[in-house]
Amino acid sequence: MGPLIPNGVIPYEWNNIIAILIGIFFGFILEASGFSSSRKLAGVFYGYDFAVLKVFFTAALVALIGILYMDYLGYLNMEQLYIHPTYLWGAIIGGVVMGVGFVAAGFCPGTSLCAVAIGKIDAIVYVIGIMAGIFIFSELYTLFEPIYNGYFEGNITLMDSLGVNRYWFAFIFTIIAIVAFAASDMIRKRVKKIFY
Amino acid sequence: MVNRKTAKFLSFRYTILAIIFVVLAGGLVLLPKYEKHEGINPEELLSNSVSPERYISTDALANKIISQDPSFILIDVRGEDEFSKYSLPNAINIPLKNLLDEDSLMYLNQNQYDVVLFSNDNFYADQAWILGNRLSFQNLKVLKGGINNWYKTIINPPIPTETMPAQEFDLYTFRKSASMFFGVVYPEQIKEVKKPVVKKVIPKKVIPIKKKKKMPVEGGC
Repeated sequence: MGPLIPNGVIPYEWNNIIAILIGIFFGFILEASGFSSSRKLAGVFYGYDFAVLKVFFTAALVALIGILYMDYLGYLNMEQLYIHPTYLWGAIIGGVVMGVGFVAAGFCPGTSLCAVAIGKIDAIVYVIGIMAGIFIFSELYTLFEPIYNGYFEGNITLMDSLGVNRYWFAFIFTIIAIVAFAASDMIRKRVKKIFY
Repeated sequence: MVNRKTAKFLSFRYTILAIIFVVLAGGLVLLPKYEKHEGINPEELLSNSVSPERYISTDALANKIISQDPSFILIDVRGEDEFSKYSLPNAINIPLKNLLDEDSLMYLNQNQYDVVLFSNDNFYADQAWILGNRLSFQNLKVLKGGINNWYKTIINPPIPTETMPAQEFDLYTFRKSASMFFGVVYPEQIKEVKKPVVKKVIPKKVIPIKKKKKMPVEGGC
């Protein structure tokens, strides 16, 4: 049956409309749960607020377990899902650059746009920074191209590269997540309370 | 307000959520596994196999070969001995029994070229087509009528009778020229060729030229 759009359950033309609707809800919930505040986002690096870690880890888990169940029950064909291609070094270097930007500015690209929407000046500066970064990357594209297009590993998942049964992987991942949640709670209790 | 009991219960809410996660994930591990249906589903296979688009006619193929269309690969699924006797130009031989070898998958499982399968009739080519489709290979086509039809239509096209419509004559001219491309020689072609006049070769007289005496070296570098 699923995925709904490729299998024609929902007409293809709805694609963008649904994307916009999901985007609006996503932005709304990010803002509602305080993710448009750079202090809250940066808290995960300074140890006084682990909401980011918990939220994104939980989201990944819910999606992972949900998809595996839906696939098992035949509501969703997992082979039709899009798997992001892995360009190993591009991903590592890009991840480091993005991580530095995240610590320095306290936003990730999604939440920064969310904060721009409510008029935060630091977020506006951040988005201008993103644009500058994109501009520099595009201008120097020929220089970066071997990394950008190289080290291609195909559309692999962690289950492929580790060679673990996917159900066991989901289980181990859940345990890791819960341990991480407990540990982050313990750290938060030790760190001096910051009012923000 | 929440009463004391609910408050006490709610203070454990994260623990409860964590337990729900572990139970759900553990459930995935413990669920009985079953063999999943791989490849495309039966309905899709049926609709692919009844679609006339999976065939390519001999005329279309001849046109492609003559116009040197680079977008397709010809694959002969007959045995090696038959392949060595006669096959289409630039065809690759993958006997049906070797269809799923690693070397042959390289040709079949890609989405850059159209793959035209053929055998003597459509029979073996169709079998190969079904197998390929079942494994969701893309762009497989079958030569309609196979080599036999190729021979009947392109190599030895039937001459249309006078009462036939003009299209038949056009088709015949196309086929005839196509067959010439593939090396068939027609009688009227031979008549036109004049016998090359063989000229008597008059042996050239060799007049030996006496070598001049060595000249003293002029200059030098």
